[in-house]
Amino acid sequence: MKYFWSNFFIPQEKNNHRASILKPYFLLLLVGFYLFNQSVIKFVSLAKPGILGYSSEITAQKVLDQTNIERQKNGLEPLQYNSVLSESATQKAQDMFTNNYWAHTSPTGTPPWNFFKNVNYKYSVAGENLARDFYDTDSLIKAWMNSPTHRDNLLNNKYQEIGIGVVNGILGGVKTTLVVQHFATPLNTITTKTNLTSITPIPQSSSETNNAQILSESQTKYLSPLLLSKIIGLIIFSLIIIVLFIDGFITFKKNIHRMTGSSIGHIGFLLVILLFMLYTQQGAIF
Amino acid sequence: MIIPKEIKQKPLEYIFLGFIFLVGLILYFFAGFNSHNQRLIVYGLSASYFFWSLIHHYKRGDLHLSIVIEYLIIALFGIALLTFSFF
Repeated sequence: MKYFWSNFFIPQEKNNHRASILKPYFLLLLVGFYLFNQSVIKFVSLAKPGILGYSSEITAQKVLDQTNIERQKNGLEPLQYNSVLSESATQKAQDMFTNNYWAHTSPTGTPPWNFFKNVNYKYSVAGENLARDFYDTDSLIKAWMNSPTHRDNLLNNKYQEIGIGVVNGILGGVKTTLVVQHFATPLNTITTKTNLTSITPIPQSSSETNNAQILSESQTKYLSPLLLSKIIGLIIFSLIIIVLFIDGFITFKKNIHRMTGSSIGHIGFLLVILLFMLYTQQGAIF
Repeated sequence: MIIPKEIKQKPLEYIFLGFIFLVGLILYFFAGFNSHNQRLIVYGLSASYFFWSLIHHYKRGDLHLSIVIEYLIIALFGIALLTFSFF
């Protein structure tokens, strides 16, 4: 039994001095297994929307605080919270869930500015930031700050007010949290201003509020399909890279010359992919 | 410093491979959170790695089908891992 397993992981005469796991047919099997798992995850997401999803800790209060911290760091005045703008931001998030899209302009051609108009907010200048699939506010703000166009909105000294919509719902078959920031400066100063002392719980998208079962599910922790993909991928990734290291070390020590791919090249390539994965932590912005 | 024999034999080829990885890393980090650009960079890096392997093994005189398939699978695995997990 011991010899059977060593055949998979350790280069030796029996396996022609190449760990069996690194042979093309076995690599193909591992990658095939990974792709099969991804197909199952995708199928479950589409067939049973909401079973897999993203549970976020983001609140409008945290987004407001972090935004103003970034502005103050850059010597700008903090933005005033405006409940009317928050209503337009929430409507925008709900519209994305209802019409199943992820963009500034809806598939029917509705621009972001229509949501400002819907709540009767008259502005001299306005902007919108979108984000999805983020777990925590720090990563979300970091992502926006790393993107020049989103950063311009966050640090624009022409804006005086902000509204934030943080809405849970199902987008593309996956349960997620959408965050919408609406920035603006009112045309007149009579627009409703609210001191943000407390934020109401995250509103649910309209399709969810009518469904008690789904509403109760929102209290539970969801397993993100992205997280599941990452875990399965990382297990296979770790297995390949560990065996490559063992293989490289043994062949180097024993000075074995073989007609196989370069273990050093494979390790280098996979380490670069690992760095990409560590950098691309979570979420998407628009 | 211990340098593996295969690097000692073809140092320039491995320096060039290191350069490909470095350029890929720099471009990826500059792409920020723009997933479209990041995806293009991953495709480009994987294709570059695959073509490097063809030249490397052709020069070594051991460019066999099994080696080509091995590199192709590793390159595709890198793409699949990032595509399914992040993009």
